[in-house]
Amino acid sequence: MTSAPAPLVAARPRRDLLLPISILAVALVYVRALAFTPIEARQGAAQKIMYVHATSAFIALYVAFVLLAISSLLYLWLKDEKLDRVAESAAEVGLVFTTVVLITGPLWGKTIWGAWWTWDARLTATLFLWFLIVAYQLMRGAVEERGRRARYSAVIGILAAPLVPFIHLSVYLFRTLHPMPILLKPSAPSMPREMVTTFVLSFLAFTLLFIALMRERYRLATLRDRVEGHEGEHA
Amino acid sequence: MTPDNSGYMIAAYALAALVYGAYVLSLKVRERRLRARLSRFESPARPASNRPAGA
Repeated sequence: MTSAPAPLVAARPRRDLLLPISILAVALVYVRALAFTPIEARQGAAQKIMYVHATSAFIALYVAFVLLAISSLLYLWLKDEKLDRVAESAAEVGLVFTTVVLITGPLWGKTIWGAWWTWDARLTATLFLWFLIVAYQLMRGAVEERGRRARYSAVIGILAAPLVPFIHLSVYLFRTLHPMPILLKPSAPSMPREMVTTFVLSFLAFTLLFIALMRERYRLATLRDRVEGHEGEHA
Repeated sequence: MTPDNSGYMIAAYALAALVYGAYVLSLKVRERRLRARLSRFESPARPASNRPAGA
């Protein structure tokens, strides 16, 4: 009796529904934001950019880059490769979210300020953070030895951390065109309930997308380490 | 008067979708390449034999 050939262990990707579910959630938020949320009277339709811009900024700054700093710090202490994988995943996914922030921000700014860009504290610091994370990625690609790569990148990951509170406080500390927070402030949100609901739903959908992308990226890092381990043995 | 700037809104949403979509695609492409490299080292799991031990 012959049995069917077993599939390759390495060629069988795991079925994971989180990513498709998160993409669907973001698509539904797009529909709600574009078609079922009222247009702000003074700013016009461009104000709806906030549902993508502000949520992406919040997740990049306060989730991705905080996670990058914490996992980098813990890596230097514990030397656990899993922490390095978390750090590199948070940096890459955070970079994608920051890229969206830097693309959507000027589109919104052009309609409100009449300028694509202004070199004020918040915008400049965000751009600087983006370059720092790009440097982090380039450094990871350039250093081959795994331990040294993890140590160097942990240092950059920690150095990026002070930019997060600086960017948050920059609108209070400096004269800037960037608006003050309208939701994350001690007083009540300065928006109608429908807009707040869309913003909260957008925040939840993009958080889900962030978690799904982190999982995928972490899995990719684990797979790469396995491949490099085999290639090292056969070299 | 409410300004008509819906073009900027559509551009922002489209570009955001493009960036996120491209990143998901890049993850999938990199995973496929790594699995192809890994399959050269990790052999197929052997099916259990029906023959009795020592036969």
